[in-house]
Amino acid sequence: MHKKPQVNEVNEFIEIASDFEDPLEVIREALSNSYDADATQVDIKIEQDKEGRNTLVIEDDGHGMDEDDLSSFFDLGNSNKDDAIGYKGHGTKIYYKSDEIRVETVKDGTRIESVMNQPWAKLNNRELPTYSIEKASSDEPSRTRIEVHGFRAGQGFDPQKLTYNKIEHYIKWKTIGGSTAWHFTDDFHRMDITVELSSTIDETRDQIQTDNRLEFSPENRDPDGELVAEKMCKHYPPRELTVALDDGRELTIEVVGMVGGKEARNELPTYGKHSAQFGIWLAKDHIKVERYNDAIGADNEFFHFFFVANCQELELSANREKIRNKSGDVYQAITDELDRFMTKVCQDSWYQKYIERRKLEDKKRSIRSQESTLEERRQRTEEQGGLSPSNSAEVIAMLERYSANGAPETVKIADFQMDDEVNAILDTENGLENASLQVKLSDFFADESPLTHIDRFVCWKLGDLDALSQIERSSYMGESIRFDFQNNEVRYGDESPKLIPVLELSEKVS
Amino acid sequence: MVSFDVVAEAGEARRGQLQISDRTLETPHLFPVINFYAGGNEGALFGGGVHRTIKEFLAHDNEVTGGEDYSDLFRGVMTSISSLADYGIREKKLDWYLGNEIREWDCFSDYNGMIFADSGGYKILKQGGLEGKDFEKDIDQDKALDIQLALGPDIVVNLDHPIHPDDEFEDRIEKMEQTAANAARFAERRDEVDGACYLTVHGYYEAMLERSFDLIEDELAEPIPEAFDGIALGSLVPRKDNVEVLVEAVSDCKREMQQRGYDDLPLHVLGISGNAMPLLVAVGADTFDSASYLHQAINGKYCVNLFETVPIDEANFDSCECRVCNDDFHRARMRNEMDDLYQKDILGSVAAHNLAVQQRELRKFRQLIAEGDKDRVAEYLEEAVKDQKGFRKFAYQLINERINPYFEETDTTYA
Repeated sequence: MHKKPQVNEVNEFIEIASDFEDPLEVIREALSNSYDADATQVDIKIEQDKEGRNTLVIEDDGHGMDEDDLSSFFDLGNSNKDDAIGYKGHGTKIYYKSDEIRVETVKDGTRIESVMNQPWAKLNNRELPTYSIEKASSDEPSRTRIEVHGFRAGQGFDPQKLTYNKIEHYIKWKTIGGSTAWHFTDDFHRMDITVELSSTIDETRDQIQTDNRLEFSPENRDPDGELVAEKMCKHYPPRELTVALDDGRELTIEVVGMVGGKEARNELPTYGKHSAQFGIWLAKDHIKVERYNDAIGADNEFFHFFFVANCQELELSANREKIRNKSGDVYQAITDELDRFMTKVCQDSWYQKYIERRKLEDKKRSIRSQESTLEERRQRTEEQGGLSPSNSAEVIAMLERYSANGAPETVKIADFQMDDEVNAILDTENGLENASLQVKLSDFFADESPLTHIDRFVCWKLGDLDALSQIERSSYMGESIRFDFQNNEVRYGDESPKLIPVLELSEKVS
Repeated sequence: MVSFDVVAEAGEARRGQLQISDRTLETPHLFPVINFYAGGNEGALFGGGVHRTIKEFLAHDNEVTGGEDYSDLFRGVMTSISSLADYGIREKKLDWYLGNEIREWDCFSDYNGMIFADSGGYKILKQGGLEGKDFEKDIDQDKALDIQLALGPDIVVNLDHPIHPDDEFEDRIEKMEQTAANAARFAERRDEVDGACYLTVHGYYEAMLERSFDLIEDELAEPIPEAFDGIALGSLVPRKDNVEVLVEAVSDCKREMQQRGYDDLPLHVLGISGNAMPLLVAVGADTFDSASYLHQAINGKYCVNLFETVPIDEANFDSCECRVCNDDFHRARMRNEMDDLYQKDILGSVAAHNLAVQQRELRKFRQLIAEGDKDRVAEYLEEAVKDQKGFRKFAYQLINERINPYFEETDTTYA
């Protein structure tokens, strides 16, 4: 006996419609459908009434729908568009998250009106919604108008969430409106797009008027000026990369992009976190899907790049947010070829000059910053009337000054190792002496450094006498210790104490 | 008579013919390092384990070659006087070895390739001379040349004092001055050499190479091209894995040679082979030498191509197009399927294969250069590095800067 697996149709509809998380995805689906219908103009209106009920109206001048097309529109997984963005028949199911879907379409002299009532409520009631069809003759040119009433956008269409700016950037970033296809064909299917929001959502400006072309920031290869690297920008012209797979198939990757500094990049559309959107985008239908920044390699920073690499062999999830065939040889071949292509971009002489110029400008900025710090240092030095050591190099300078200016003894630095406990070897009249040279003597003891090999301390100042006194009261590394500053020495140990002379320079060098 | 004729060029790569007396060598060429004398006696081709097996290939020993002629792998070989003492020989044996020129021994009498006798500067200076079981010989320029000449070479090179990337400036200058002094002494004995005299220069970038040439020119009594037949760029072995340094050094050396009017001389790159060779040919290197083919085999490595090696027992001999791997006899040897095989027999065949892989790439390159189309050179380089992730940026950089820019300055048009 054979049994046929069953599909729970209601659950499937709910599942697919719920896959669309961002309410703006409704715009992406509308634009894709209009594009697939060969529209040259699509107008979208989004309205919100005072109760927060959303209405979407999408109109295009595409080839319209006949009854079969309308079935595909409402059916699940029954697309009749083989070579189109919406080939899966999933996208329009986002409209089901509404109170009513009304379609008015004209194709080949026939006008069809169709209405689906309460699709979302019915689905959630475990009922499959139905739609009406009314046909009539018409001499109008082909077109389609879709109204979606009571669209469940959550808070996505609320005035505080939705703005013209946000939609415009979304269109350019996430939809066919940001297509890079126009770079690759003379026979480009251009589609003008308008989006109008009701004044209850955004009344700050007029409707959006754009088209389905992603344009890069203007080129600015060699700007004049001193600190201009952030303005630099170069376009990398469209290239068709072909890759042969082991099974003989051939893939085509269409790649186009730009490299630019921050100011140039800021002119690009963005959706989400701006800085996280640069790099190399893998695309299908010339709509960006996921980034593949590994192609840039560890030697380069991804944010200088904005490239879109389109390959129709990529397979996407229902909501087009993810690539599904990452574990296959197609994806591997695409990414391998992109690795090679981007390595070439990174060897381009303009790119190398751009990176050099950035480094040079960073250095110039650093010099400017140093200049202002220098000015502050000079001012401070003048105020304090000369050198006041704050590091060991300055203590060495003071020691040299001390020895050169009539000191009772000559003490010179013979060797210096910054991080050692015995950081200085002194050349004295008694021969070489191991010394610890400190800005403040108390710093040495604060670090609990051993005294075993130290013959002498050289310091600018004694430092925190209370801290030293506190050490005297307990012990230092298990032994008693006395700081005798009358005689300039440290007495360390119990049975046969070690005497370590202290040379305090601040008292002796004016 | 020595001549070097450039017969074709593609970009900066050139194909040449090095003619020394009645021997001709097609360049670019790799001189495999051969230890002719390795402690043994004549019947054992003077010994040396895998080195011996390679000499058996060179000398057409049918038991080792399987009857095939592999002389094309050995049209020009490199041998160093420093290797004479590698096997702890006694002085008596050294004298015996040097009593005949290499081709005067019966076993090598049929060998008709070129012999490049290196002075072995690096090793000799490191060891302080030649040291055998019962002798120590200080080696200076004169003694080095005496030993080189005793080998009956086609090409000799002066005793050099190789520099090291970590040398202090003063140390480097001292070494360069010593090399220059040796070069001058070497040039004085030019007439004793019945073949080509090569001059060593050292440096990793243009300023260093400029100094190296200047110091030598100051020491010489005559212009370099009158005293020498070729330039040998040395001291690159410590940087053999840094292809960027290698390309810069060779490229800058070529520039110096061009500026000084020595560009007609062949440029040999001492001690380098393998994956860097195609790039170095592309910037104008003519010949190379290396023992890497042998060392790889001794370490159990089988070259899949210029970039990759696999352990011998993982090698797929059937997918290799080289003559050694297409010979049932050697496949059986490399698979250890024959009776009474010594390790040297197995590894000898692997070494011959490793050498064949490198020679094959140079042969392809020679053909490409002959076509005179620099685009084909670029294509070849691209294909060669296609799957070499870490390496390809250097190849692409070279192609972009020296052959064909990937993105023309004016290329802003869209389809």
